[in-house]
Amino acid sequence: MGTFIQLVIDGLSTGSIYAALALAIVLVNQATGLINFAQGGMAVLSAYIAWQLTAWSVPLILAILISIAVSFVIGALVERLLIRKFEGGDPDTAVVVTIGLLTLVTGVCAWIWTYNNRLFPSLFPLDTITIAGAVISIRSLGTILVIVAIMVLLQVLFLGTKLGLALRAVAINPQSAAFSGMPVGRLLMVGWGLAAGLGAVAGALVAPQLTLTPNMMDGALVYALAAVIIGGLTSPIGVVIAAWLIGVLENLAAVYVPFIGHDLKIAVPFIMIFVVLIIRPQGLFGRKTVVRV
Amino acid sequence: MSATSTFFRRPWVRWAAAALVVIAIVVLPLLLPEFANLTIARIGVFAVAVLGLNVVMGYTGQVSLGQIFFVGLGAYVTAYGVEQGWNIVLVFALTCLIPAVVGLLVALAAARLGGLAIAMVTIALPIVGVPLAKRLSDFTGGSQGLSARFTDAPAWTGLYNDQWQLYIVLLIGGISFLLTRNLVRGKYGRAFAIVKGNEAVASSMGISPYRYKVLAFTVASLLGGVSGFLYMVVIQYTSPETLNFGHSITLVASMVIGGAGSIVGSLLGGAYYVLVPQLTNEIDPSLTTVLQGAILLLVLFILPGGLVSLPRVLRRRRRRRRDDGARVAASTPAMAGPPDAPHPPPTDPQERRQDT
Repeated sequence: MGTFIQLVIDGLSTGSIYAALALAIVLVNQATGLINFAQGGMAVLSAYIAWQLTAWSVPLILAILISIAVSFVIGALVERLLIRKFEGGDPDTAVVVTIGLLTLVTGVCAWIWTYNNRLFPSLFPLDTITIAGAVISIRSLGTILVIVAIMVLLQVLFLGTKLGLALRAVAINPQSAAFSGMPVGRLLMVGWGLAAGLGAVAGALVAPQLTLTPNMMDGALVYALAAVIIGGLTSPIGVVIAAWLIGVLENLAAVYVPFIGHDLKIAVPFIMIFVVLIIRPQGLFGRKTVVRV
Repeated sequence: MSATSTFFRRPWVRWAAAALVVIAIVVLPLLLPEFANLTIARIGVFAVAVLGLNVVMGYTGQVSLGQIFFVGLGAYVTAYGVEQGWNIVLVFALTCLIPAVVGLLVALAAARLGGLAIAMVTIALPIVGVPLAKRLSDFTGGSQGLSARFTDAPAWTGLYNDQWQLYIVLLIGGISFLLTRNLVRGKYGRAFAIVKGNEAVASSMGISPYRYKVLAFTVASLLGGVSGFLYMVVIQYTSPETLNFGHSITLVASMVIGGAGSIVGSLLGGAYYVLVPQLTNEIDPSLTTVLQGAILLLVLFILPGGLVSLPRVLRRRRRRRRDDGARVAASTPAMAGPPDAPHPPPTDPQERRQDT
């Protein structure tokens, strides 16, 4: 029983990291209708910025906060200078643009910081506490709490503030939003900036566990995309729940299903995608979109 | 200029040109040095993979990030079959069949969500494929990989191995290109173009976007398998590294840079895949990835149609300059696309863009 609880909590913790990336993807998608495949790469870049700051002996918390701020600016700039040219056009082209961006960002990280692993200090103490026979690390609990806090903040932002209302309006219908006098371009930049900032949080949370490399987020990106598909593109809460579900199920499968084991557990979200797509193509919490000719 | 173009449109001229190309293809491997032959053969291998990607992405408009998975799958099937001593024709048939079936199953699930779901699902293929290949070590040789030598030139031909291998690639690759060209120019190609242009219009015309997306993806997987067979013909060794996610991204980049929705573009894409990493490695190995990302973004910015559209863009620019000089009806810019780039049917102006 102790092992089970421990697996569930650890699963929730890794699931939370996927959730942060998945929320960033949903944020960009809600604002622009794009899937940003570079989200993972940008998160790695943020993590490297934070790492570099700590290497210059900036305190960790401050380093992470600065990296979030810098990432916000980078995200906004990427939207303004690169993505804007392709927005509103063929979504496939825009996706290829984000893939090019992923290659570029990964390349820049590898160029500046090489492919050698870097140790990233953990935000939380590595102590453990014992609950009902399960040994649980403070880091797991801390990661979960951070994500819950972000999810609540995002929900408040979208439903309770003027900025959130404007962002949603731009997402639903950019033309009408523009006609009613909203600065659509600036709002899109803010959306991308927020997503990049979220990615920076994900980067800071995941880097201590995986050690920092330019390709660190490739796996996490797959999980995040799976969470996005399973949770439904339109629902931030659904995405977080899906990410947690993936994290927990994959942890359980790694231990209780011998064939899957530790090295094949990345197949778990893939199998879940198949099951969900066949039963509910719009995702567990997504809305069905109606197409008009 | 019009005189030359009518000259080239005459049937006998076209046949003669085709015959010249065929003769060149037959003779060149005998004349070129070994290194050139091997390079051309490798270009052929990846040109077929890019061609498959073009069927699903360029012609049907579904982003697939998993093409390398099917190449690797084909390579593994070939290596395993050869190792078991199966008849090579049977091995080739299986290399076509198994990736096609896997692709069909993936597409059946992924195409349901439409839009970018195929991209999101297929990105997982290479990332799951690498640990899977390591895990199924009874079939794949684990991290060690498999090697298979079955393409040494038979003694009766008197050819060197590199020449023999290049002939195999030219033959199988050539047939793949011909069949694909016929597919995308015919009835199915038109259906693909409509599905790419506007799915809602397609279904209102009685063309099921779902069915054609699944079909395109299956064909792409099949071509990926063929490419995997050729991979074993030329490189003779495969390992989990073959399936690396980065290779998949490079394939997508190659397709876009060569020219999406174009047969010639696939060839250029294969050349890009093989040659440019060699070139950037020469400049600075640590810059390779940066340069590749930068090249991809640059092409998307200034040449959205890929390299294959370069002559057309130049011609248009030259004509515009001439027109500006003479102030003649500049309002009708020539849209003379290459013959193998079917323009999607006119649809919603929001949706419709030049084939990218």
